[in-house]
Amino acid sequence: MRCAGDIEARQVDETAINIDPIQVGGRLTADAMKAVIAYGDGYSVCDNCRKPFRLDYIKKPPIADFHADLASWVEMDACRVVPGARRGFQAVCQGLVQKGDPVILTALSHYTEFIAAESVGAVPREIPKDEKNHITPDAAAETIERVIKTEGKAPALLFVEGVDYQFGNHHDIKGIAKVAHSYDIPVLYNGAYTVGILPVSGRDLGVDFVIGSGHKSMAAPAPSGLVATTAEYAERIFATTAVKGDQTGRTFGIKEIAMMGCTLMGVTVMGMMASFPHVKERVLAWDEELAKSRVIIDALLAIEGTKILSDMPREHTLTRIDTRESFDRVAETHKKRGFFFTSALGKRGIAGVIPGATKIWKFNTYGMTKAQAEYTAGAFLDIATENGLTVND
Amino acid sequence: MSQRATDALFQSLFLLTDIRVMLRETAPLHQLSAEEKETAGKLLKSIRRQVDILEEELI
Repeated sequence: MRCAGDIEARQVDETAINIDPIQVGGRLTADAMKAVIAYGDGYSVCDNCRKPFRLDYIKKPPIADFHADLASWVEMDACRVVPGARRGFQAVCQGLVQKGDPVILTALSHYTEFIAAESVGAVPREIPKDEKNHITPDAAAETIERVIKTEGKAPALLFVEGVDYQFGNHHDIKGIAKVAHSYDIPVLYNGAYTVGILPVSGRDLGVDFVIGSGHKSMAAPAPSGLVATTAEYAERIFATTAVKGDQTGRTFGIKEIAMMGCTLMGVTVMGMMASFPHVKERVLAWDEELAKSRVIIDALLAIEGTKILSDMPREHTLTRIDTRESFDRVAETHKKRGFFFTSALGKRGIAGVIPGATKIWKFNTYGMTKAQAEYTAGAFLDIATENGLTVND
Repeated sequence: MSQRATDALFQSLFLLTDIRVMLRETAPLHQLSAEEKETAGKLLKSIRRQVDILEEELI
C-alpha cells in the first residue's frame, strides 16, 4: 500500500511487534498522532506568535507552558526544545567550549556527542569503560588527570550517558558528576535512553545539563529533543543575539543564537507536547517495562549458548545479546545463512532486528504489552526448537 | 464554510487513530479481547456518525 506516489505507507508497528533498539521509545501515542494530523503544516504553531516572537513564548498552543513543564519535570531551571538530542549537545558545546579545548566523552558515547565536540573544534578525549562495560567515577578522575597533564588545561565539558546505546547499562552519574565538579568541569547528562521512559532528575544526579531525545524516548516525531540546564548556565547556553545588519541596522530581538532563533515550529513540538502527559505517566511504570523485558530475556537465556552482554539482571529494556553459540550456529548451515533468523522472526510478526544478524545484536522491548512480551518470548523459543537448538526449562 | 464538516473530518481521523493504536497494541495477530472488541465497536459506530455528518454537509 502506498500513501503517495512511490512512498509506501509504513505499517511496521501495526503489523508486527517492533523490537528495534532505537525506535520503540519514540513511537507516537494516539494523542501525538492526532496532533500530527492537526499540525502537519509547516509553520503550524505560528498562528498566534506575538511579540517577542519566539517559540518558547507562544501561548496558543501552550508551548510556553510546555517549556516550563519540561524544565520542572527533569528538575532543572530552564529548558528548550531542540531538533534531536544531538542539537542539544551542539548547543551546549557552542556555549561552553572554545576551539582547542579538551572535552571528555566516554568509550560508550554516541557519535553525535563526538561530532558536537568536533563542530566547535574541541579535542575529544574518552573515559575508558571497565571490564563490565561501565563508566566509573575512578575512570573519570583518571581521564581528567591525564587530559590536564597532556593538554595542559582542564576539560571544558564532560559528557556522560545515563544509559549507553551499546549495552543499555546504567552508569554512576552522581559519582562522575561529583568528580568532574571537583575539577570545576560542567557535566552534560545524555538522557537519550532515559528521559521519557524512566524517571530522571537533573538535580538529584547533580548534573549541569540534561539532554533528552523526543524521537528516541519521548514518543515524539523526529527530530525532537530537549536541552535543560541550571540557572547558572542558562544565560550562556541560551545567549540572545546581539548582531546588527551593517546596511539595514536590523537587529533580531531575543532570538537565541544556539537555538538559531526558533527550533521546533510545527509537528515535532506538537507531537512532543501531545505525548507529554502520557510520557509523565509512563516513566512511573518503568518497573512494569523491566518485568516484560525479563520475560523475553528469560526465554532467550533458556536457549543453550545464548549470552546477555548487558548487565544482568536487566535494568533497562535495551539489551545487547550474543547468539554466536546458538542462532549463529544454525546460520552456518542454513540455506538462508544468517537471514534465516530475521526471516523466521518476520514470519511470526516480529520486526526490528537487523537483517542477517545472528552474532551480536541488540533489541529493545520498551512499550509492548504483556501479551506481546509473552508472544515474543515464545517466538524466540519456537525458532530455536524448530532449528534444533536445545531449550532448557 | 462548514465548521460542522471540518469538525467531523478531524473527529473521524482522530477516532481512526484510536483504531490504529489498537492495531499496534494487538499486533501481530490482532486477536482482540472481549473488552477491546467492545471498544472497537464503539469507535466504529462513532466514525460512522462522523461520516454521516460529512455526507449531510458536503453531498
